[in-house]
Amino acid sequence: MLSRIAESLFWLARYIERAEDTARILDVNYQMLLEQSQDSYHLRWEPLIVMAGEEQLFRRLYSEVNAENVFEFLAFRQDNPGSIVQCIAKARENARTIRDRISREMWEDINSFYHMVTRFSPREELVAGPHRFCDKIKFGTHRFHGVTDATSPHDEGWQFLRIGWSLERAEMTSRLVDVQYQNLLDELPTVGAPDNHQWMAVLRSVGAFEAYYRQYHSSIEPEKVAGMLILNSQHPRSIRFSTTEVQSALRAISGTGPGSYANEAERLAGKVVERLSYDRIEEIFKQGLHSYLHELSQMFGLMGRDIARNYFYYAVVA
Amino acid sequence: MAPEQFEERRKLADLSFLIQGITFTVYSDGRGTERLFPFDLIPRIIPNSEWRRIDRGLTQRVLALNLFLQDIYGKQCILRDRKISRSLVYSCAHFRREMVGVEVPKGIFTHICGIDLVRDSKTGEFLVLEDNVRTPSGISYVLENRLVMTRIFPEVFQACEVLPLSHYPAELYRILRSLSPRGEDDAQIVLLSPGIYNSAYFEHSFLAQQMGIELVEGRDLIVDGGIVYTKTIHGLKRVDVIYRRVDDEFLDSLTFRTDSLLGVPGLMGAYRAGNVALANAVGNGVADDKAIYAYVPEFIRYYLGEEPILQTVDTYVCAKPPDLAYVLDHMPELVVKAVGESGGYGMLIGPTADERTIQQFRNRVSANPRNYIAQPVIPLSRVPSYDPSSRRLAGRHVDLRPYCLFDGQKVTIVPGGLTRVALQRDSLVVNSSQGGGSKDTWILRGEG
Repeated sequence: MLSRIAESLFWLARYIERAEDTARILDVNYQMLLEQSQDSYHLRWEPLIVMAGEEQLFRRLYSEVNAENVFEFLAFRQDNPGSIVQCIAKARENARTIRDRISREMWEDINSFYHMVTRFSPREELVAGPHRFCDKIKFGTHRFHGVTDATSPHDEGWQFLRIGWSLERAEMTSRLVDVQYQNLLDELPTVGAPDNHQWMAVLRSVGAFEAYYRQYHSSIEPEKVAGMLILNSQHPRSIRFSTTEVQSALRAISGTGPGSYANEAERLAGKVVERLSYDRIEEIFKQGLHSYLHELSQMFGLMGRDIARNYFYYAVVA
Repeated sequence: MAPEQFEERRKLADLSFLIQGITFTVYSDGRGTERLFPFDLIPRIIPNSEWRRIDRGLTQRVLALNLFLQDIYGKQCILRDRKISRSLVYSCAHFRREMVGVEVPKGIFTHICGIDLVRDSKTGEFLVLEDNVRTPSGISYVLENRLVMTRIFPEVFQACEVLPLSHYPAELYRILRSLSPRGEDDAQIVLLSPGIYNSAYFEHSFLAQQMGIELVEGRDLIVDGGIVYTKTIHGLKRVDVIYRRVDDEFLDSLTFRTDSLLGVPGLMGAYRAGNVALANAVGNGVADDKAIYAYVPEFIRYYLGEEPILQTVDTYVCAKPPDLAYVLDHMPELVVKAVGESGGYGMLIGPTADERTIQQFRNRVSANPRNYIAQPVIPLSRVPSYDPSSRRLAGRHVDLRPYCLFDGQKVTIVPGGLTRVALQRDSLVVNSSQGGGSKDTWILRGEG
């Protein structure tokens, strides 16, 4: 497979995942804030910008952190490369360059998804609130996963798609837990534990709310929530599950069996999976959640870089 | 068939093109917009006997053009024998000095030719309007049009015996494979495209898919030690044959335009060393220059010792002073064309142009006579076409571009070709970039 095609598949999947994750976070936080008092308003919007990794850009574009600005910035802004609309546009652009290599159904699906997204009028949506828009995005990305799974051969190309969306998901979930936890602890030091609504929102944003209750049969406890999002082996959006996906796809490409590795990305993926399989949430908190997640984030960054170095880039021959 | 039924099927056809995204890109609006290529459901029928004559005429022409290119980049006998002036050949913008003395694989320059024909409505005869021997496009529309027609009018195809054309990709693939410097079994063949912003990108991905070869861009290739490789996820893989849809001047920034990112630095070196084959060959533009066109009948006589079967349009070559004087005097009656342009760009249709435009062309032609030719207006034949506004059939001007494949021995022409139709009443311009459409072209078996 051509390196360029593998790279386009990787980014196609990453952009789709990023659009979905952003939509989920936006939707859930907005709903939750409707039930909150006004005084801590801006404090709660700020983490969303931090999660998107675009604090500086946001401050250049807006003077105030409020619901509308955050919504517009994360959903529609053309000049925010991470906005949902931009992610879908870039996913489609990647698909277009390789349309002879993906299934016709995939191309037609992503193409019509793109046209649907660009037909939204930001002005109307800002009035209506993000729910309707975010719901469409989630539906669109889920359909993309379904169409892809059902119509494209599960060959090397498919493994690059899988790496793309799993790696993005692992990074987003780790950032979500990190930012939310820090913020909630900072904000309400006297209460001792952050309030349940916040953590419910976190669970909802990764679609794990019902699963949490089924597993723990208890009220929402921050430690358990963090444990679920980081260590659960079955929930498709947990860090452990996503990293295991990355590892398995990498092995399928290189043909490496368990217990060894063919490149640096595989070694790091194996290391992270191992940790997440045997660490307990109490130990993680003892070490400090933030430093633990920060380490994971760094590893994901290195994995991405090494995948690119191994499979996508060629040094210029003089 | 009732008009409602027909309208129904027409919508079905449009929808089919839309869903598949069979589009081309136009640049006139400065942004490059994707557009559907309008499709007319009424097929154009050419009698078998007439087609056989066209087939023979095109075969002869392709052979002569190939021999001309071999000669001009080889021994240059035709220049020594003074059948065409040295200065006219060398002043052609697409003449490539870098190709002089290069032995191309199997002596083939013109692997794929698209030769535009028009039928003179006065004489009823098919004339050659222009040759396209660089990177002719449009075959994907021919194949897709037929596919859509067989889906929408299956009953008609059962009743008439229409000669098939679906073997085109297989024949092209056979020719490409035969060029491989490492033998056919190991041949790695790729299609080199400028990428998604090219107007014919749909065709590139279509043909790559049909032939089962990799569609690559310049950045996917690398030349090392005179060998061309693709960059794959499992390392470099050698390439033997490149079906390139990138123009000469963008192919290799070390040889041609240094600002080109579409090509592959070092490609010409690999090509000249015989380590990779290119189709079509580099430098073909000298053969389809519109001034050289006037001499092709002479090439046929000179190289083949035959009389041309297909006639050409009388052409005034402005590089010749007497012709130039005539053209400047008679511009309102003539069609004036820039010699190196295609796609209906850079052209004046005298009888319908206003005085200001004509004066502009006079100035341009006087400033650079070598760059222009002029021809009398050919009264293009019309064929019945569907007019959606009146829901009736009406006569519309058409041309025909058959696609000729040359394997070094024989020329294969899929029966028919691309019939382009000027969908506007009385318009003579059929180019898709100028609002033309297309229709399926039927050559019937046995009859006539």
